[in-house]
Amino acid sequence: MFKAFSWKDLVCHAAAIAAIMLCCLATVRAEETTQADAGVVAAMQREIRDLKEQLRALKEQVDALTRAGTGAATPGPSAAPQEQVAPQAPLAPEPQQPLTQPPRAASTGNAFNPAISAVFQAIGNASIDHDIDDEGLSLSEAEIGLQAVVDPYARVDLFLAFGTDGEAEVEEGYGTFLTLPGGLQAKAGRFKSNFGKWNQLHNHAFPTVDRPDALTSFFGEESLTGDGASLSWLLPGTGSTFVESVTEITSTSNDVMFNARRSDPMLLEHLSSVFTLSPSATIGVGATGATGKAGPTEELVDAIDDAGLSATLTPSDDLPSNVFGVDLTYKWKPLQSGLYRSFLWQTEAVHSVRDVEELDPSGVLLEGTVRSFGGYSYAEYQFAKRWRAGLRYDYTEFPDDDSAHQRGGSAVLRVQPTEFQEFRFQFKHTGRNEEAAARFDDIDSDNEFFIEWIPSIGPHPAHAY
Amino acid sequence: MIRIVRTILPPLLVASIGGPAMAAGKLQVAATVPNLGFIASEIGGDHVAVTTIGSGLQDAHFVEPKPSFIVRLRSVDLLLVNGLDLEIGWVPPLTQGARNAEILAGGPGYIDCSSRINVLEVPTGALSRAQGDVHPFGNPHYLADPLNAEIVAAEIADAFKTADPADAADFEKRRAEFVSRLHAALFGPELLDLVGGAKLSRLAQTGELDTFLQTSMVEGKPLASRLSGWLGKLRPYANVKVVTYHKDYSYFAKRFGLDIVEFVEPKPGIPPSLKHIEELTQRLSAGDVKLLITRPYVEHRSTDQLSERTKIPVLTLPLEAGGTPETGDFFKLFDHVTSRIATSLDSSPAGR
Repeated sequence: MFKAFSWKDLVCHAAAIAAIMLCCLATVRAEETTQADAGVVAAMQREIRDLKEQLRALKEQVDALTRAGTGAATPGPSAAPQEQVAPQAPLAPEPQQPLTQPPRAASTGNAFNPAISAVFQAIGNASIDHDIDDEGLSLSEAEIGLQAVVDPYARVDLFLAFGTDGEAEVEEGYGTFLTLPGGLQAKAGRFKSNFGKWNQLHNHAFPTVDRPDALTSFFGEESLTGDGASLSWLLPGTGSTFVESVTEITSTSNDVMFNARRSDPMLLEHLSSVFTLSPSATIGVGATGATGKAGPTEELVDAIDDAGLSATLTPSDDLPSNVFGVDLTYKWKPLQSGLYRSFLWQTEAVHSVRDVEELDPSGVLLEGTVRSFGGYSYAEYQFAKRWRAGLRYDYTEFPDDDSAHQRGGSAVLRVQPTEFQEFRFQFKHTGRNEEAAARFDDIDSDNEFFIEWIPSIGPHPAHAY
Repeated sequence: MIRIVRTILPPLLVASIGGPAMAAGKLQVAATVPNLGFIASEIGGDHVAVTTIGSGLQDAHFVEPKPSFIVRLRSVDLLLVNGLDLEIGWVPPLTQGARNAEILAGGPGYIDCSSRINVLEVPTGALSRAQGDVHPFGNPHYLADPLNAEIVAAEIADAFKTADPADAADFEKRRAEFVSRLHAALFGPELLDLVGGAKLSRLAQTGELDTFLQTSMVEGKPLASRLSGWLGKLRPYANVKVVTYHKDYSYFAKRFGLDIVEFVEPKPGIPPSLKHIEELTQRLSAGDVKLLITRPYVEHRSTDQLSERTKIPVLTLPLEAGGTPETGDFFKLFDHVTSRIATSLDSSPAGR
């Protein structure tokens, strides 16, 4: 029933003990009728027990020394090397320290290397109705992640992205100071702005192949990203409810909302909270405001060039630009069957108030304020361990033109053979009004199909909630 | 909007965390999984307030790192983790968000309860995900062996004594009481009186207990006749062949002498294909496997199918306390698990 040690000598030893024990017990039996001898016998038993314990301790020491002598240390990573020299707990059952320790850290330079991960997205997209230039197959993005703690006070997360054209960029690279007092945490470097929910996701972590239209029209093909600092504060006195404030000051090169000089910073404030509805469900709410400066749109620069006025007209790069967002997320994942069923419903609305200059036919620049709105709503149901189906509705205007608008509807199927790879299939219908169509080669209606494969390698990722 | 939410929601807010009183003066402790939370409560008594993050119903690999846990971890003194990468997917985001330097990995309040455990199945050679979701530090389900609770109790008691030296004597007393209760439950009171818990525990840890019980005689019978408790309950079925869904019964099997011959999962974390079930069916039909053991939170279709085709009974057994009323704490859990296995093997046609 109980697996014996494989060490032959230990077995021999156990047999010897058993033999002693047998003799001892036989003696006990022979004498058990003699009441007076009972105390003596008990004392003998105790003595034998003590002797055996001592013998065992000696034996283990010899074994340990023998092993140490043959250098049988196992190389490999170790999470808990401290215990080997620590004194044992007073009554811990004599653990077989030399035999059972987790492997010690190899004494190579690798011990402090960051966790390295790599992920890429292979995407195929095709328009069913139109011949669009960028359709086809592509390795849309490959990302290398390097993550490690710097010292007891900070950690660094660095993500390098390689686009289809092979150009590398620092997608994010920031340090986080984890040990500030007062519920504070600070971040410095380049990071995706804490605007709503989706903006912070890396492309491979999207639930759909493409970004919601509203985020593309307000922040461009890349997410709103800045170089600077962020201070987040976990508000005290909220019971078990999470309330967080994030304040960011960054220089951003966002080419839509904040395309002014880098010397004009973007200020952002994000407030969010998550309420626990039941052990299985939460609802998260958030509100964001960001303010900065905008410069001329590409269209305006082109228009000035076309009119031959570039020598005389200088468009402003100091236009007030503000964008606000609210987000609402419902998550359901039953405790017991959460590996197989879950539901997510996430909605974000974005509203921009941005000054825009236009070239008047008379050749002067007119400044006006454009208020635009956009948003998406995405619902996803997990119906098997590896399968999820989602629907997304998109609506967006454009920050420089509130008369142009487009709507979209997508159906998505996600298949995750393991946590480390995913296939996504998405069908998307887009409809645009005349003004919006003018921005997209006069295409007012489109049906597209996407297929995407995302494998990831490296350490097991932690999942943000 | 937020005001409306604020007004409506508080009555609905069910604290999914254990809801400890934030009483002043108590050591604030969080445990990642219920078994650790239970041991911590036993040892801490009135001196500690324990919050448990995961639920007994859940797969401890996949707990959602809900922000309410971040809020709770902000003010704890100690975080007890199972370790061995069991919580790799969800503890880092919690500790990194909690703004509590004490409980960051490596901090004085981050207590890895696996550090003194005799870890099984530590992979040797090159690691690869081709092997499925392998745990690089070895099998993390060590509390499936109830005797390991003794080692964990020592670890936790030491952590409590360091954090709250004023109550050290009481922690030590409560630890000793817990261990006595554990030994009585595992070996039965009679054997415990005859041999003593420390010795039984050591023999069990080194795998020599069975030899000892068979070769030591008392009143003309092997000492084994005095064994009861959880070990006694399953002793008649020593070396019985079983199949488990996941590789999480290894420690249990080693302690209770079950022989796990197959897994329903072809590789850890990889759900079985129809083909795999087909092959398993054939192998099991020919063999002498007596029992299929699965977990409450994994799909039951595969095991039900296997059971139906092979006529081998299937048992759904939790290995975390608190999932159901009958497994409300660590002791009830092992009462329940050992009883159900014994009952099932007893009534199985070729049970013994």
